[in-house]
Amino acid sequence: MMTAQKKAHPKYAPGTHVSTKDIIDKNITYTWWEPEIQYCWSLGPAMSRFLQELKKGKIIGRTCKKCDRVLVPPRMFCEYCYRPTNDWIYLKDTGNVETFSISYLDPNARRIKDPILIGVISIDGASPQHGFMHYFGEMKPEELHIGMKVKAVWKTEKERTGSITDIKYFKPWKGGKR
Amino acid sequence: MTFIEKQTDPTKPMHWPGNMQADYLYPSGIAGDRFFKHIMNNDSFLASKCPKCNKVYCPPRIYCEDCFCKIPDNEWVEVPSSGTIQLFTIATIDSYEEKLDEPKVIGMINIDNTDSSMLGIIKTDDINEDIRGIQVKAVFKDKDKREGTLKDILYFKKVK
Repeated sequence: MMTAQKKAHPKYAPGTHVSTKDIIDKNITYTWWEPEIQYCWSLGPAMSRFLQELKKGKIIGRTCKKCDRVLVPPRMFCEYCYRPTNDWIYLKDTGNVETFSISYLDPNARRIKDPILIGVISIDGASPQHGFMHYFGEMKPEELHIGMKVKAVWKTEKERTGSITDIKYFKPWKGGKR
Repeated sequence: MTFIEKQTDPTKPMHWPGNMQADYLYPSGIAGDRFFKHIMNNDSFLASKCPKCNKVYCPPRIYCEDCFCKIPDNEWVEVPSSGTIQLFTIATIDSYEEKLDEPKVIGMINIDNTDSSMLGIIKTDDINEDIRGIQVKAVFKDKDKREGTLKDILYFKKVK
């Protein structure tokens, strides 16, 4: 009896395999729940103004007179000088690719055929390496490279809601000098 | 100065509302699966009995939590879906803090012929009554509507 009992105690429990099919076919019983997890992020004056200007189809930054920088996305406080920033400044909707990534996974981590092109764009008129993350479009994944000139493609005025997605994506732009 | 500037118009700052997706699927496990599949077709419960200490678990366990020994399949027993109320609470709000139309009595029920207890909703006529120690019986959903969850037990009612 004792030996039989000991054999029933493996060092590692083998576990029970459950496949997706078992769940879909309801071969096993389970509990499914979707908790309501809501949040509300207070944007503050700088990011609020930035999004309100995006709704108008403009990109706005903020200047710091002391370190002579143009910050975009704008901030009310300069993290270099430890002082409030000075003025609002409108910027162009063009820039160049700072970094990029080609993703073959969608936001739900599912594999996709057409990759999502995403990267950081440093906006023209702002200080070097000041910009934000966005999608790239109207280009092949091979074309995308660091330093590439890009221009924002905006949603129509009616579609814009005051969100970063008011810009659809950035497309290649040959119009300007670097 | 900018810090005074930002407080002049309180309507201007925006808020960004969002909803986080965090759905989950929790399989019942070996013992739970057998238990729920049993109540899908029967009006009784399944329990498992430890061969060493004779403790009877309902909902069943495949390991005895006292002697850490495995409970073999032949030690499973069918127990009635009735029990004794050990303790209870009266809820007046739901899980979203909304006021309920009528108060809900939730109790810990010691299942008959077992050594363990289960949580359940209790239907009583008189809400102010002390129902500790009272015999109750489970009322199940119609057999064709059962899904194999604890919600198949609608509530527990008094045995007269």
